[in-house]
Amino acid sequence: MSDGKLIEDLEDLFENAPCGYLSMWPDGRIAKVNATLCDWLGRPRETILGKRLRDLLNVAGSIFYETHFAPMLRMQGFFHEVALDMVRADGSVMPVLANAAERRDTSGELLFTRLTLFKATERRQYERDLVEARAAERDARRQLEDMVMSLQAGMAEQVAIVMEEKHNSELKEQFVAVLGHDLRNPLAAIDAGVGKILRDQQWTDRTPVILNLMKNSVSRMSALIDNVLDLARSRLGGGILLNRDEARSLQSTLEMVIAEIQAANPDRTISTRFQIARTVSVDHDRIAQLFSNLLGNAVTHGAPDKDIAVDCTVDGEGNLSLSVANAGDPIPQEMVPLLFQPFHRGQVRSNAHGLGLGLYIASEIAQAHGGRIDVESDQNEIRFILRLPAQ
Amino acid sequence: MSIIQRNNVTLNGTGGTAMVFAHGFGCDRNMWRFIEPHFRNDFRTVLFDHVGAGRSDLSAYDPEKYSSLDGYAADVVEIGQELGIEKAVFVGHSVSAMIGALASIRAPGMFDKLVMIGPSPRYIDDGEYSGGFSAAQIEELLTSLDDNHMGWSAAMAPAIMGNPDRPELGEELTNSFCRTDPEIAKQFARVTFMSDNRADLSKVEAQTLILQCSNDIIAAEHVGEYVHNAIPGSQIRYLQASGHCPNLSAPEEVTLAMRDFV
Repeated sequence: MSDGKLIEDLEDLFENAPCGYLSMWPDGRIAKVNATLCDWLGRPRETILGKRLRDLLNVAGSIFYETHFAPMLRMQGFFHEVALDMVRADGSVMPVLANAAERRDTSGELLFTRLTLFKATERRQYERDLVEARAAERDARRQLEDMVMSLQAGMAEQVAIVMEEKHNSELKEQFVAVLGHDLRNPLAAIDAGVGKILRDQQWTDRTPVILNLMKNSVSRMSALIDNVLDLARSRLGGGILLNRDEARSLQSTLEMVIAEIQAANPDRTISTRFQIARTVSVDHDRIAQLFSNLLGNAVTHGAPDKDIAVDCTVDGEGNLSLSVANAGDPIPQEMVPLLFQPFHRGQVRSNAHGLGLGLYIASEIAQAHGGRIDVESDQNEIRFILRLPAQ
Repeated sequence: MSIIQRNNVTLNGTGGTAMVFAHGFGCDRNMWRFIEPHFRNDFRTVLFDHVGAGRSDLSAYDPEKYSSLDGYAADVVEIGQELGIEKAVFVGHSVSAMIGALASIRAPGMFDKLVMIGPSPRYIDDGEYSGGFSAAQIEELLTSLDDNHMGWSAAMAPAIMGNPDRPELGEELTNSFCRTDPEIAKQFARVTFMSDNRADLSKVEAQTLILQCSNDIIAAEHVGEYVHNAIPGSQIRYLQASGHCPNLSAPEEVTLAMRDFV
């Protein structure tokens, strides 16, 4: 002893180890238990031997042991870190962590099942805290997600407002540019004409030519001002107001527009097909404006040597479909939504006849009637279709 | 998600008659590993996990459907229909013994024979009837599951801690068998231990064998005998094996008893 060569006493290690030991026979009865565990449980050894592990657990624990841990032990030959609640002699609960291993003989026959038990009161408390923290964290995360969601919604709203403001300011800039440029051009032409006549101080051969040019410029300015007013009405006011009239003939309205366009473009062929089953309640002046725009575009942008086809159908219920088709280069798909934006001008256009408001206003007119304009475009033709539902 | 994937169904064996194995509360189809292979020569064996257990599709778990054993029985019938099973043998452990009984009543002709290992039609005492547990004790079990610490660091840990995107990580944990999603385990425990299928037993027409363990606190001898008396023409066989899982602790004895029956 004095020379420090104390040999560890294995029996004493088993009995007084800093953990509980417990061995069970194959039938589950307790074969051996160490002093440490007896002490922890406050149970004399003889009251434990021959009992089953479940007799030392609370009811919930024993059900759980039988349904979960016993099967696991049989299947993998061991289990580790299983949390159990043991019941002391005085009825109080002692949380433990258990490791278990089966001891089998060489033929695989089960000899013992051995358990090592560690007190886990503080660990259990820690685990409970952890579970509670998990729940708290989950709640907090939910709250955070809700906050982020509402924040995102708020931001989306703000962005939409900013975008709308930006859009409006772009619109204003375009508006100014249009007034500055498109109105100034015909005005400059009129100014030049007036200057020329004033300088001539008499009627010459050129005078009627100049006056006709000036009259064209006035018409153009007048049309531009109408368009700008329509834009202002649709954007800033309550939309385009309709003056519906069911008594008038839709076909007459359309034929009048065709005649006007045909007169201005005598070399173009416009084929028509009307299948109008009944009268419809529309604003004829607005429909004429819309149709004139579509047909005018077909003349301007369509292949000059190909026919323009107009097809108008009104079915028995009053659903209206009016299409204008021309041959020409297909419209790129990504361009289609832009066509109906105000101030949009086709890139192919060489001479700016308008503000790029025509299709926008046509589409506003369609919407005022509860309908819409669609574009179908392929290699052969471009077709604008107005569809108005029955009133 | 097909029924086969939903319930992690696999087929083995070469026999003409099907033998369907259903695990009980707390485990998964792994618990048949010492039994099922012995029947492959004579039967077409069917293994599956109840939804919520093992490798079943957890997303298929519908709390309403599985709020009674009927939902689980409906799954068994669906699996049987999917596989075209007729006149088969159903082997159910613990609560699955009752699930099998319900399935056999639901789909007459699907199962000719039922093997019930440790069955209990009701776990809670009720007047004259002794189920083995008081209502307070079962409440304690359910509360402790709600408390979520029971076995927190063991069977349930892989499900709690595991990364659902990488199930193979769970495999590396030591207690890799019988993993159960803790939320589903809680509900399954409630459904199991609150169930009362005593009235259904007399409707069972399949030939039934009850395998009764000794020293089974979950399903005591007199509970097995109650089932035996209630199912017309049933047989009961008392096993040497003790505890609630003879299919794991005494597979030879269980296999032998099943062979004599089928």
